[in-house]
Amino acid sequence: MSETRKMILLANFLAIAIVLNIIESAIPIIPVPGAKLGFANIVTLIVLYVYGFRSASTLTLMRVLLVSLLTGKFLSPTFYLSLSGAVFALLAMGLFKKLDFFSMLGVSVIGSILHAIGQIAAAIIVLETPAVVAYLPLMLLVSVPAGVMTGLIGRKFHSVWGIWNGNTSTA
Amino acid sequence: MDKTAKRTKRDIILIIVVIILFGGIFFAYRALAYKDDATRAFVYYGNVAEPIVTIDFVRGKVTVHRTQDTDGDIVYPYVDDDAMTVTLLGDYEVSGIRQIVVIAYDFTARSVQVVRESSPNNICSREGVSTGKPLICLPNRIRVEFDTSDADFIV
Repeated sequence: MSETRKMILLANFLAIAIVLNIIESAIPIIPVPGAKLGFANIVTLIVLYVYGFRSASTLTLMRVLLVSLLTGKFLSPTFYLSLSGAVFALLAMGLFKKLDFFSMLGVSVIGSILHAIGQIAAAIIVLETPAVVAYLPLMLLVSVPAGVMTGLIGRKFHSVWGIWNGNTSTA
Repeated sequence: MDKTAKRTKRDIILIIVVIILFGGIFFAYRALAYKDDATRAFVYYGNVAEPIVTIDFVRGKVTVHRTQDTDGDIVYPYVDDDAMTVTLLGDYEVSGIRQIVVIAYDFTARSVQVVRESSPNNICSREGVSTGKPLICLPNRIRVEFDTSDADFIV
């Protein structure tokens, strides 16, 4: 029963992540082509805390792959930027969650910062020019409030999740 | 409960520290990196390390190093001296047709601007006029970089 429940919830989370990812790719706040703020990290963060690292990594990779297929950008520069940013953020969040030094908010901020660094690193390789580093200061600065926002939403969700989960299990 | 409060406190410290750090980096970089003293601008296409077009602000000269493609009478990159523009073929395709990227230059202002390009978000044309900040058109695989070295003109 709980396995079915988990499967259905993960499928829903994946759908939400895909929608968030597509929406944010339509908002070019950052002047780097293909770079994103990482709102889809909200879902990665929530799943990381609810179901753990393995589920979160599967979901994140699925999200990047499906979004690229849906938007027709599979194996394009944008895809590599998304993939690199998502993997960096995922690994950083997984590590800092395990270290248990920060709460969800801090973990989210670190994830967001690494998301920016990951994207720039991929852009340097894809474009074969270090000139992209010029955008790193701006991206780092923007990534902090983005991470705080992601973290606050994630924390709110997690607290509600605890209540809801507790209620359904007793009922 | 106490542990949660401790972690939240660390979170806030982390956020303040990174904001101050990144804010410092951002403004320091802004102040240092973009001076209005570019001598040349290089237009790059694809993964080739050598520029395809050089815009020399000091000499007031535009040099095309390689040709991209020929479309009828027009050979790309195409330099229009009157309009002060360089037209290249980008990699972004609309219905299978590669789209042009028009770069405007200004010798006196030592500036370059991408005035026309086709891409999903038009990021590089929305960057506006640049006097030192690299302009990167990722979907078109075209970028403009600046050089401030004065090795080529000794007064």
